[in-house]
Amino acid sequence: MCGIAGRILNAPGRVGNDLVELMDAQAHRGADSTGFAIYTVPREEGYVVRAMGFDRETLGRDIEDFLAILREHGADFLEEPTWDNARSAHYSVRFVISDPIDLGRWTTAADEICSRLEVQSVGRSLEIIKDVGDARAVADKHGVRDMIGTHGLGHARLATESDVFPNASHPFWARPFADVAIVHNGQITDYYTWRNKLEHQGYRFLTYNDSELIAVWVSDQMKKGMPMEEALARSIREIDGVFTYMIAQADKIGFAKDKFAMKPLVVVDENGEISAATEEQAVRRIADTENTSIINYDGPSQMGIWGVGNHRSAA
Amino acid sequence: MSEIVIRAGDRPVREVHEEIQSAAKAGGDIVVTDTRSRHNLGVGLPPGCRVRFEGSVGYYCGGLNTGATIEIERNAGWGLGEAMSDGHITCNGYAGMSVGAAMLGGTIHVRGDSGPRAGVAMKGGNLVVEGKIGHQSGFMAHGGKIIALGGAGTSCADALWEGEVWVAGDIEDLGVDAVVSEPTAEQVAEVDAILEPLGLVDTSRNWRRITAGQRLWYFESRDAKAWLMI
Repeated sequence: MCGIAGRILNAPGRVGNDLVELMDAQAHRGADSTGFAIYTVPREEGYVVRAMGFDRETLGRDIEDFLAILREHGADFLEEPTWDNARSAHYSVRFVISDPIDLGRWTTAADEICSRLEVQSVGRSLEIIKDVGDARAVADKHGVRDMIGTHGLGHARLATESDVFPNASHPFWARPFADVAIVHNGQITDYYTWRNKLEHQGYRFLTYNDSELIAVWVSDQMKKGMPMEEALARSIREIDGVFTYMIAQADKIGFAKDKFAMKPLVVVDENGEISAATEEQAVRRIADTENTSIINYDGPSQMGIWGVGNHRSAA
Repeated sequence: MSEIVIRAGDRPVREVHEEIQSAAKAGGDIVVTDTRSRHNLGVGLPPGCRVRFEGSVGYYCGGLNTGATIEIERNAGWGLGEAMSDGHITCNGYAGMSVGAAMLGGTIHVRGDSGPRAGVAMKGGNLVVEGKIGHQSGFMAHGGKIIALGGAGTSCADALWEGEVWVAGDIEDLGVDAVVSEPTAEQVAEVDAILEPLGLVDTSRNWRRITAGQRLWYFESRDAKAWLMI
């Protein structure tokens, strides 16, 4: 059992705070770890990179090596890196970098040191924050409530298929595609079959969390030029298991549900402002559910896409 | 008798529950306000007690009911009336997934639609849905009656064991081993007797009565195809 959430605002606002509320209301669904994908006001150029190091004592060297790889790919820091000052062995670091010559090649090179420093998101606006602990703990540690943006995703994990590690938390970035993130509620039954297939094609898995499969699978669809709508429909046919997952991009959020109709999704649409969560009591924290109708996506094989900002009509 | 008002709000559900239970002992109608779609409200209520929930409730409302009369003003979440043995639950809106799961007796009356797997593993009692029952409703039900007045979703009555699924309106498609038959006048009269106190009798209905084809009761290799369809 996990809990997921999505939020879209009509204009940049306190999306971080809203997602923390949505996840706090669902903390009972799994407090092993919590994560957020926040789409902040997008940059014109350069990327925000969120990464996790696994040994705070090597932080200095990790960042030096990260920068060396970055420079080999024609990019540099645009701002000084910042990181959390918690006592945990692992640390979360935020970089702002100029555009590498080739994002895909740089990601592959950066992944060479992923056992020390793992890149967890890259985007003009996307920032993935994840850690062990419940919504409040993760939000307080990483200042999520203060994050301003247009949309985002949230996830509360109850680990059922693999171990709890800070980096095995959701959301997962569809590497190396900028601004693409997923959260998943459920279990993927044919995880190893798909993992083997995708690894043979050269994709890298950084955890043993079965949900990471969806992110890698989505990367493969994007590489083939598949539009989100088609990828969502295809996932329902091709991926075996129990899932309600959400995928976010710079201009939209989509969702897909398995053919067994196992995991609920509750949505409130207030003049285009979307609140979506696994449980109704969560959306009630931030949406006016007395005067707005609640949509229950309970049925099998359902999918949908909500646009963000100017992309509304296109969705 | 006077009405006792209990506010749920964001108070610990245990506290709300204890108040409902002691009010039930004292007798009189109980109204629970500010329910906020919270889970586990009104679980294990005793016979004779009457509780009305204002607004919507979350998961497992009215679960393990042993004879109480419960009304929900709006929607109910997952597992409304799960494993109840007696009593009467009315949900005036939409009932989420697995309404009446493993219920043993009593009646659940949903005025709106219901989500997937209504009456899953049901063992007795009546589940009446005025709207449409969702995907795979009646899944592995062992007994009792599921009565849908507004049609049924996909995989209707999948792997039904005993028990009956009655549908007026369209059925999207049938589940494994679900067999449709024309009910006899006596059988219709039995269902109308359940609908009568709810004011829902309509003699013009074109009923489909779904029962198990019994192909899944015993494994036979020559019938393996039915098992592979599950």
